[in-house]
Amino acid sequence: MADQTQMLKGILDGCLLAIIKEGEIYGYELAAKLESYGFTSFSEGTIYPLLLRMQKEKLVATTLRKSTAGPKRKYYSLTEKGEQELLLFHQRWNQLNKTVNKVLKKEEM
Amino acid sequence: MLSKQSEKFILELRMYLISKGKKDQEIDEITEELEIHLTRAEEQGKDIANIVGKSPRKYMKSLSNEMKTDRKQMAVLIPMMILLIAAYFSFGPAIEGTFALSSIILWFALGGAAIGVFVYGLVMCRVLPSLYKSFWGMVLIFGANIFVTGIFVMLLLWMKSHSAQPFFVATPLQNTIIIAICLALFIASAIYTKTWITIFVPAFIGLQAVSFRYFSDEINSNPNVFIIGIIVLTLIVGSGMIFLYKRKIKVQN
Repeated sequence: MADQTQMLKGILDGCLLAIIKEGEIYGYELAAKLESYGFTSFSEGTIYPLLLRMQKEKLVATTLRKSTAGPKRKYYSLTEKGEQELLLFHQRWNQLNKTVNKVLKKEEM
Repeated sequence: MLSKQSEKFILELRMYLISKGKKDQEIDEITEELEIHLTRAEEQGKDIANIVGKSPRKYMKSLSNEMKTDRKQMAVLIPMMILLIAAYFSFGPAIEGTFALSSIILWFALGGAAIGVFVYGLVMCRVLPSLYKSFWGMVLIFGANIFVTGIFVMLLLWMKSHSAQPFFVATPLQNTIIIAICLALFIASAIYTKTWITIFVPAFIGLQAVSFRYFSDEINSNPNVFIIGIIVLTLIVGSGMIFLYKRKIKVQN
């Protein structure tokens, strides 16, 4: 669903940060986890441009580790700045969630 | 093992990012990461479209937008390509001991450099990835390579007969210096780009020029000798390329 994809774009950043916070993780695993949570409407590769940006903004740190099968994998972990960004995302999401629910339920402020 | 389609995508992505002047290390990192992802996804029975979406070009662009452009690398690559083309033109005449500059040669050099940069970019980014790993693709690339080299040789011959009123004629010492500079440039660019092309092409031009200089006119004017020479050289260069290509595939696997 195209509309859902548009809506997801901004939210995906926060969800990626939240999953990375659980522990070091590499790209494929990250996509698989997102899918297991129910994010199925976007192509898996969408995460890589986002991860590249997060790296540039120093929200995540990376390390290359050997794997038992095949080439080295790039693992992502959260930086201090990333943790702060995740907190902000929580606040923004809660606020948005409340507002949208009110609109949908037609409650007035 | 990656599917042919995914392998083609990875190569296309690599060429695309190189053409956009992205950093080597970053290109290696993202292509390796995607290679791992595609391999695992294909093991699970997923298609490449599940990973990169409906438009691979658009996806490549979205990655490129988030990567740093390495201006230093671009600053090296473009002048190097122009210098290389100049060296291709100068190498043959210098070996023959007839290096000279005239306005015709300079115009040719300028035109050749412009066309060369354009064709090189087009082949690297658009043509090569689609032909990669297909037998006829390799035959086509190889054929085009010989064709281009042939044109170079013809051009050198034509220039030799038309280069009227040169304003600079190199002395034997200057010819030797030009050869040395050209060789250094060929070797440096082969090391820098990690390809053999800048060794093969000058070898082709060089051998032809050597034959002009050291063999009698009688042998050189005999078309049979010329054709046999080209066939032998083609076989040597061709088998060399196939050997390197197979070794590369083996290393990759």
